[in-house]
Amino acid sequence: MITPSTWEIVSLLLDVAHITFIILLASAVLGLLLGAVLTMINVKNIPVLKQITVVISSFTRSVPIIIQLFIVYYALPPLLGNFGINVTSMSATVAAILALTLYHGGYLTEVLRAAYKAVEKGQHEAADSLGYTPTKKFFRIILPQTVPVALPGWGNALIHLIHDTSLVFALGVADIMGRAELIAASSFGMNQVQVFLIVAAIYIAVTFLSDGMVRLFEKKTQKFKLDSGLKAKRVA
Amino acid sequence: MLNMEILVDNFFGILTVVPQTVALAITIFILSILIGTGMALVQEYNVPVLKQVVMLFKLFLRGTPLIVFIFIMYYSLPSIIGYFTELMNLDYNASNISPVVILIVAVSLTVSSFQAETIRGSFLSVSYGQIEAARSLGYTPFQAFKRIVTPQALVEALPEFGSAFLVVMKAISLGFMITVVDIFAEARLIAASNSYYVEAFVVAALMYWGVAALVVKLTGKYESYLVSRT
Repeated sequence: MITPSTWEIVSLLLDVAHITFIILLASAVLGLLLGAVLTMINVKNIPVLKQITVVISSFTRSVPIIIQLFIVYYALPPLLGNFGINVTSMSATVAAILALTLYHGGYLTEVLRAAYKAVEKGQHEAADSLGYTPTKKFFRIILPQTVPVALPGWGNALIHLIHDTSLVFALGVADIMGRAELIAASSFGMNQVQVFLIVAAIYIAVTFLSDGMVRLFEKKTQKFKLDSGLKAKRVA
Repeated sequence: MLNMEILVDNFFGILTVVPQTVALAITIFILSILIGTGMALVQEYNVPVLKQVVMLFKLFLRGTPLIVFIFIMYYSLPSIIGYFTELMNLDYNASNISPVVILIVAVSLTVSSFQAETIRGSFLSVSYGQIEAARSLGYTPFQAFKRIVTPQALVEALPEFGSAFLVVMKAISLGFMITVVDIFAEARLIAASNSYYVEAFVVAALMYWGVAALVVKLTGKYESYLVSRT
């Protein structure tokens, strides 16, 4: 194979970009849901389940993501097989999404829990005394105040997730990194640096997009922030 | 489900590389603190050209996954070093450079950009009055920095340092891509030799978990010791 030009490399890489994005989007959404559920269990102090959430978040934060990927990929099929669920044909992509979801969820629990705790107790009491039902209280009073506090942490978690999607090629998923290795190998290692610099550029672009998105959300939710703490409220 | 015999076997097999991994992590950790302090000082004192370099570097690292950076370093560092040794007429073959060195360079550069933020924040948390008081008592600027500012900043930075060390530990696990052997790489080698994949990875995960728990405990202890002294 002749050494491809820069633009050819870019188009070759972008050809498989959708796989990376599917994994990224799926694990971001599912991870957020999982994180929310784990946080809810944690703040509601449900006996046994709470200890499980603590273990999950401790595990996902202290074990390298690459090991988590491999454990889910290799251990989940036999584990579920014990319960009669046959998933031996689980694809690497699905395993990657599951592992990243677990990782992202475990990471987000800490962020969301801190944000939830940041809402003053008086807010709960005021809502209760005004006769809000628990659901109404949560969605109208607590959640809007939690969101602006949680957003910076969520943005960081997203960036970690974006970085970690670059590891799924170790399971054999043909994503951007997988394709990059192929290109680098097929031209006898002549353009490895160039290929990986282009990969870096793609990831930098995605990171900045997600940064911009989080900043936009922050701007939109700023009006929910109460003037507590060091910062006085900016008049909208 | 899990084969107990294999688990125990793997445990002792992988245990042999734990000291090596921790030593590598400590090296990278210390280097990253040094580089991070340099970056923080450059940003604090507004050094003209260097400041822009540091800013660009941070932007680059914020967006680039570690594994991509490791590959870039792996493929480009030998020729970069080769260029300089040739420039200085040194007789050194840079293509023999060990992948461990490349991993150390790549990971410590990456982590240092996060360390810079931690270090900057902790130095800023020491109030300027402390420095003024020290100076008025006749401390030289260096003495004030060493005896007054650093101990207080350290208390502030310690929890972050603990988690940064764990980040380094986890980051080294990517070394298997460039043939560096650490806990994870050893687990992979063992798994490939006896094809008990799950057991090997579970043992490796438990080891990382154990090290993490130990580090958290130690930093907690040291922190309360430092707090009691200030």
